[in-house]
Amino acid sequence: MFESHNDPVDVLTAFVDGSMRPIRFRWQGRIVRVRRVTGQWARREGQAVLRYFAVQGSRDDSYELCYDARGPSWVLSRAWTGPA
Amino acid sequence: MILLVDMDAFFASVEQAHHPHLRGRAVIVCGDPSRRGVVTAASYEARPFGVRAGMPLAEAKRLCPNAEYVEGNPRKYVEKSLELLEMFLGVTPDVEPFSVDEAFLDLKRLPGRGQTLESATEIARELQQRIWDRHGLGASIGVGTNKLIAKMASGVQKPRGITTLDEEKFRGVFWPQDVQALWGVGPKMSEHLKALGIATVGALAHAPRPVMEERFGVVGEHLIEAAWGRDRTAVIPYHEGVDPKSMGHEVTLPEDCRDPEFLEGTLLRLSDQVARRLRTDGFRGRTVTVKLRDFRFRTITRQRAIGIAIDDHGGIFEVARALWRENWKGEPVRLMGVSVSALEHTSEAQTELFAERERTKALQEAVDKVRDKLGEASIVPAGSLAHRRALGHVPFGAVSGRTAIDRRAKQGYGDGADPSPPDPTQVKPRLPRED
Repeated sequence: MFESHNDPVDVLTAFVDGSMRPIRFRWQGRIVRVRRVTGQWARREGQAVLRYFAVQGSRDDSYELCYDARGPSWVLSRAWTGPA
Repeated sequence: MILLVDMDAFFASVEQAHHPHLRGRAVIVCGDPSRRGVVTAASYEARPFGVRAGMPLAEAKRLCPNAEYVEGNPRKYVEKSLELLEMFLGVTPDVEPFSVDEAFLDLKRLPGRGQTLESATEIARELQQRIWDRHGLGASIGVGTNKLIAKMASGVQKPRGITTLDEEKFRGVFWPQDVQALWGVGPKMSEHLKALGIATVGALAHAPRPVMEERFGVVGEHLIEAAWGRDRTAVIPYHEGVDPKSMGHEVTLPEDCRDPEFLEGTLLRLSDQVARRLRTDGFRGRTVTVKLRDFRFRTITRQRAIGIAIDDHGGIFEVARALWRENWKGEPVRLMGVSVSALEHTSEAQTELFAERERTKALQEAVDKVRDKLGEASIVPAGSLAHRRALGHVPFGAVSGRTAIDRRAKQGYGDGADPSPPDPTQVKPRLPRED
């Protein structure tokens, strides 16, 4: 099931062809390698634009990360923790 | 030729595309799954269990307890819809978005292709494959000689179907069907038609025109033409735009409620949200509608036309509250909604020239500026605070950012600010705090 977390995370990020992609991140004491970015979208919060990334880890685990340029900071907003 | 591209179980499919482990599983998109609400969308894997959009979440959980319940994210779906629109514009410049998950494509301007049903079907097949390859999403496509036929054809085979119909085939498929299968005939119209002995689309096609015109006016003639598969409506390219007919918001309450103060606070918040949308998009409206659903799922809508076009939450709330007080009999309420229709562009709308009105306008502009800068939750009518506390979230989801900042602060980063020394040239807006 999906769980909402909104945990601050450290994210290693690559900038390729003018776009930003998370490569790996540290969450709950472990390093998650991003195998694939499966979706991207953005949301405005006043003047700020929050950029979201749906990503898959190496074990088919699944997360949603949010980049807030105001910090700048990353937040892990949701994680899929296995079948409900 | 016209195509109608209808994305299959769009919201649920986007979630499955973003989270591939959900593919093949029953996925139900809803509000906060831990709260009360309704099903927004159900994947095709959930539908055999009887789960449908609009069904109360509690019922869906009873029918399909092992489904994956995912909190929906409108922004995510709108963004995907825009990506799809870009793709459609690569096929033809004449694209009319019909909803977030449907679009008409007119192929008439394609050089050398798309002018026959066979050629249009080939284009539909290519497009369906490209949507799958690039986005991992299923689409059902109706191919027809006009918008009505394309629209109705798109629903014949789902998911991932392609159905091609001309007028003759349209009659073969739809004439035996219940009259409510016709695009534009809802449950109420269906009742009226059946009261006249018109039960099928075919019967509607052969209904006596004088009777239909007398009973339904110009709509009667239109219905008969539609039953024959005739439609002269043009595809309106998205860049030409179609003005909205109304704007509204509704909310399912956390629990059935009969507290007048709370319910009026809810109306105020809804009025505020509607007013904000009107102003953002440059509209004012002359009719306010209130929707109420009680604990027995009985729904009533009541509307009132007003003399001037308005876009301020106070004006909308005043009318909405009057309608509410006249029609609420004290039963526990499950859902409330407010909408404004009879819209005019702000530049065209006639306004009152009183000083009070000018003050209200200046206040609104100031409030809008604050919200534009800091977000929707930064400033709200005081009367809606109780409602917000009870719901535990604020409009437009702004709380997620704030929650993150709060957590960051707890982890030793101070009051949500960057831990590095502040740059005196940069003044960072603080995220709003509730209360």
